[in-house]
Amino acid sequence: MTDWTGTLSLDLEERKGKTVAKRVYFQGALKVMRPIYFDDSGQVCYYLLNPGGGYLDGDRYKMEISADEGSKVTLTTQSATKVYKTPKGYAYQETQIHLQKGSYLEYLPDPLIAYENAHYKQKNVVHMESGATFIYTDILTPGWSPEGKKFSYNTIQLVTEVYLNGKLGVFDHIKLMPEKQTLSGLGFMEGFTHLGSMIAVSEYTNNSLLDELYEVIQIEESSFKFGISKLAVPGFSIRILAHSTQVIERILDQCQKIISEKWNNRTPSFLRKY
Amino acid sequence: MNNNILSLFQLCDSNLPTGAFSHSFGLESYIQEDQVKDQETFFQWLKVYLHEQLIYSDGLASRLVYEALMDEDIQEIWNLDRLLTVQNLPRETREGTQMIGDRMLKLTESLYGMPILSQYRAEIKRKSSFGHPAIVFSMVAHGLGVTKPDTILYYLYSAISSQVQNAVRAIPLGQTAGQTITHNFIPELTQAVERILQLTKDDFGIVSPGIELSQMKHERVNIRIFMS
Repeated sequence: MTDWTGTLSLDLEERKGKTVAKRVYFQGALKVMRPIYFDDSGQVCYYLLNPGGGYLDGDRYKMEISADEGSKVTLTTQSATKVYKTPKGYAYQETQIHLQKGSYLEYLPDPLIAYENAHYKQKNVVHMESGATFIYTDILTPGWSPEGKKFSYNTIQLVTEVYLNGKLGVFDHIKLMPEKQTLSGLGFMEGFTHLGSMIAVSEYTNNSLLDELYEVIQIEESSFKFGISKLAVPGFSIRILAHSTQVIERILDQCQKIISEKWNNRTPSFLRKY
Repeated sequence: MNNNILSLFQLCDSNLPTGAFSHSFGLESYIQEDQVKDQETFFQWLKVYLHEQLIYSDGLASRLVYEALMDEDIQEIWNLDRLLTVQNLPRETREGTQMIGDRMLKLTESLYGMPILSQYRAEIKRKSSFGHPAIVFSMVAHGLGVTKPDTILYYLYSAISSQVQNAVRAIPLGQTAGQTITHNFIPELTQAVERILQLTKDDFGIVSPGIELSQMKHERVNIRIFMS
């Protein structure tokens, strides 16, 4: 394909207890920074970034990540994903992830900020074998307009598909179209402005973990609303409605810390960059 | 009116023993938070539930199943069964729907004896499929020769009327208020069918975050009269 604005592919494997890239390739407006090892766990962290600083009209990005047996990786971004106005064609990002059994991948991008009249579509497709662990979060903000008007973007659409051993196990589809929906009202954002989600798939999921996460989330004092539930495959999802990015980040960080300690025997490092 | 439509009406009856009356699909969370408390607020909730959740899941699935039956593309039906199930992230709502689908399938299989229903049952028994009322309903309607738009309309009517009955019991509302809501809701249903006929498969499973969250929250409510 030559019509991608940016492509990135990253293949990981475990070598003597350390996760390393066996192949890294990027082209155009997508880049991966050098690997970072926060501790001696062997888990690697990669920061993905968009050198252009934001997604423009008709931009198309593609990422392909694979993790071989036993490899452990954190993927994050260096700053919020900004989508500028797209008068001609929507901006699109596609991510394909392949996880072998016993691999651990957490994809924790910064919030999405869609500017006035922006149209953004994102598709994540994850193929995993049983025994692999996948954790994904996203945060949707009300966007940005010069007048400070909330929800002035055109469309934000996020599709996530997780296949476990070749069979579809999770399908999540969020499509916010402020002009066509009463976003702030009952059934949608319920008076809140920010939406956070977490999807975690792992054989280690059990009821006591969900109970623990439920209790921890409730400690957060700001005004917010959340739900947590088991998926059709071993795993769970969390949805959070709040008034700020910080509240959602705090909650997701707390949850991720507990999950990482239980599933990965490791206390995660502080990833935020500002 | 022909006998086939009358035969399908039996499935639209909220007294049909599928267990649908024990599932509020998150409505009970709103009632407990006092956000749905009377005829007006319930009508508002019902509109969002129909136009922002049902049309993209059950409604669109009903149409796609009908089309797959026309094309004799049975594999597509099993794909839709899986998609409908795994896109339903709240556990209670997902498992409740599966239970309703299963009971409806048993019942309709004995009532109508259509081969496709037995085939669906075999798929579920083999754990290749899950079971969903929108799929069972569309199979029966297609088998009875009911048109595609009518199939979708009657399915939505049956889903909505059991929610109205739930609201009458849970809020509570008077029986007359319940009938008024159903009556006033008819234009919403026809509008929903028109939208569904224009959707594409790319629109499948779009969720309304608040509705979905209320369905997840229901797992943790202390006192309940509904299973979801």
